Order: sequence, then structure tokens, then C-alpha cells
Amino acid sequence: MKTLRPAAVFALTPLVCLLLSCRSKSPPARTPDLQPLTFEQWQQRLASLKGQIVVVDVWATWCGPCIERFPHMVQLYHQYKDRGVTFISLSVDDREDKQALENARAFLRKQNATFPNYLMNENILQSFDKLDIQSVPDVFIYDRSGRRRYFLNGNDPNHQFTVKDVDNAIASLVAEQ
Amino acid sequence: MKLHSARLAVCSWLLMVGAAASLLYAGKYNPAVEIGMKAPTFSKLPATDGKNYSMSDFKEDVLVIVFLANHCPWVRGGEPDLIKLVNDYKGKSVRFVGIGVNLRQDDALPAMKERAQKAGYNFIYLHDASQESGRKYGATHTPEYFVLNKERRIVYTGLLTNSPALMEGSKPRYTNGPPTQFYVRDAIDAALAGKMPAVTETRSQGCVVEYSQR
Repeated sequence: MKTLRPAAVFALTPLVCLLLSCRSKSPPARTPDLQPLTFEQWQQRLASLKGQIVVVDVWATWCGPCIERFPHMVQLYHQYKDRGVTFISLSVDDREDKQALENARAFLRKQNATFPNYLMNENILQSFDKLDIQSVPDVFIYDRSGRRRYFLNGNDPNHQFTVKDVDNAIASLVAEQ
Repeated sequence: MKLHSARLAVCSWLLMVGAAASLLYAGKYNPAVEIGMKAPTFSKLPATDGKNYSMSDFKEDVLVIVFLANHCPWVRGGEPDLIKLVNDYKGKSVRFVGIGVNLRQDDALPAMKERAQKAGYNFIYLHDASQESGRKYGATHTPEYFVLNKERRIVYTGLLTNSPALMEGSKPRYTNGPPTQFYVRDAIDAALAGKMPAVTETRSQGCVVEYSQR
């Protein structure tokens, strides 16, 4: 069997590329994979985002309210992504629970979570302690100077946050010059 | 003008009293109760055994109240240790009562009955559809424990141990290795001896309890 000559391959390459690119003019945005970060790496990542409003959705696959709320967070992402607002999801699923991590990846893909998706690469209790949270869902919102201005949580029966609270908080920071 | 000033003064005073009262009834971590205060009561809550119970029905020297939720993997992970704890205090004047306050279908009374049977719950398991007991106790996570002494004062709130178990698949796993501090057990022993436990409050962690918006 004859092998293709290098010149032929060179000649065919543009045609193959053209055919492949024709299949989809603008490929849909992909869901970034769940990226593990230690708490220190997480802090560095946050620091690198100074100058933007940053919304962090802290969640886990075992958390019913997180699952129910996530699509609304994706909606808010589309609403604010062109207005200087960065969205991030931060999972506190147990890094040692392979099934949970697989479920998390599948869920993010299904939700079209095209923003950065991180996983706390710490013991789960350490994650809670270092992030200073008691459960999920929680939403952290940082202003352009990198200061955390909102910590929305469920730690008070009479003041548990809603999606509307998240929307209002982002809108108020966007309005600040 | 004088009337306006007087109104302002009264409003400020009321605000200050309100703030002081809220500080008075909040623990280090708990938003509603503090250690040593009289425990909030509940009445005529339906149980998985088909009866209704009020707090006054329980006459034992120590009452352990734990807020639970069927769906929660932290609750499921902690079930074997809770069931063992109840067995360990059989024959002593200690009563365990679980309360579910979530309004989700999978946490409602029919589902609670199924769960209690399947997991072998050996304690009274109540459902509070009004969620009032949870609000009064400031129970925001499941499982969250409250140990009450003979006078029905709160001597402990928080976690069962220093290593809560999480259900992974069908197997519980201690999230911080085998527990080394048994907060609820220590609090029960202290209360039975008429003393306060060394640790009176830990920060509850687990699944969030969803309260209806008012």
C-alpha cells in the first residue's frame, strides 16, 4: 500500500480544514471542566480577577437547593457577562467521592455552565472552614477592588437569600462607578 | 416639632432594645438561641408513628432534639451513629426526638415514615409543616443537635462529633477520619450529672434547611 507523499498531505490540509470548519460556523461555548484548586490557589485566582465584579456560586451535587438554583445563576451570567461581571462556580463536593465528581461534571455540561468551574481540592471540612461556610448554596460577590461585598447564605431562618437578592446585589455593584 | 423629636427618640429606643434582644438570643453560631436559655417548645406535631407529640410529653431528665432531613446525605451518613447513640442510652433518663421541617416532598411525612422504617429509626420522628420549631431553635442545617437538661435549658447546640459522616453512594464516610470528640454524648453525660459540658456550642454544618419566605 502506498503512503501519501508529504506534498499531497500539504495540498489536502486546507481542504480538510475547510470541510471541518464548515460543519459549524461558530461552535457553541464549551463547559470548562471542573478544575481542582487548593484554597491558596483559589485566593490567587480571585486576586487575579481584580478590576471585575466577581460572582461565586458555591455549590455541591448533594445540595438540592443548589441544583434548583443553578439554572438561575446561568441566566444571571448571560444577563451580566458583558457588563464587567465574571461568574465562577465553586464546588465543595467531596474530592474523594469519584461518583459525585462525575455527577458534578455531567451537571455542569447539562447546564451549559460556560464560565470557569472549580472544585475545592481540600478535605471537605477544611473547605467549609477555609471558605467560612456552614453549608451550600452560598454566593460570594466581590466588587472591582476585590473586596467581598456580599456573602449570601442560608444561615438565618428568617433571612435566607433568593435569586432576586443575587440579582439586586450584582445590579448595585454594576451601577457603582 | 417636639412631637417629631419624641417619636424619633422612641423609635431609636425601640431599635436599640430590639438589637439588644436579638443579641441576647443568639449563640456564638446559632442565630436564634443561646446556651443556658429555656428551650423553645413545640406542641402537637405529627410523628412517623401516627401519633402527635408536644415537648411537654417528654418527661426524661435529658431531651435531645435533632433536626433531620430525609434527602440530606449528611443526615443519612450520620444515621448509624445516631441510632447507636440512642441504643447506648436505653435504660437511662434520656429521650431523643428528631424533627423535620423541610417542605420538600421527599422530606414530608410520608417520605419520613418510609425513611424511619428503612433506616431503623429508634426515636420519635416529628414533622413540623409550620417550620416554627426550626425557626425558634435557629436550626439552619441538618443534622443539627440540641441537648436540653432537666430544666429544659439548652446545654449544647451543633454537631454530633468533630467528624460528620457523609453518605457516599450507599456508604457513610467520616469526612475527617474517625471522630475523636463526641459533643452530643459528652453533653448528655454532663446534663445527666447536672453539669454543663466542656463544649457547649459547635458550628452546625450539613444541608441547609429551606425556610419559606415571610
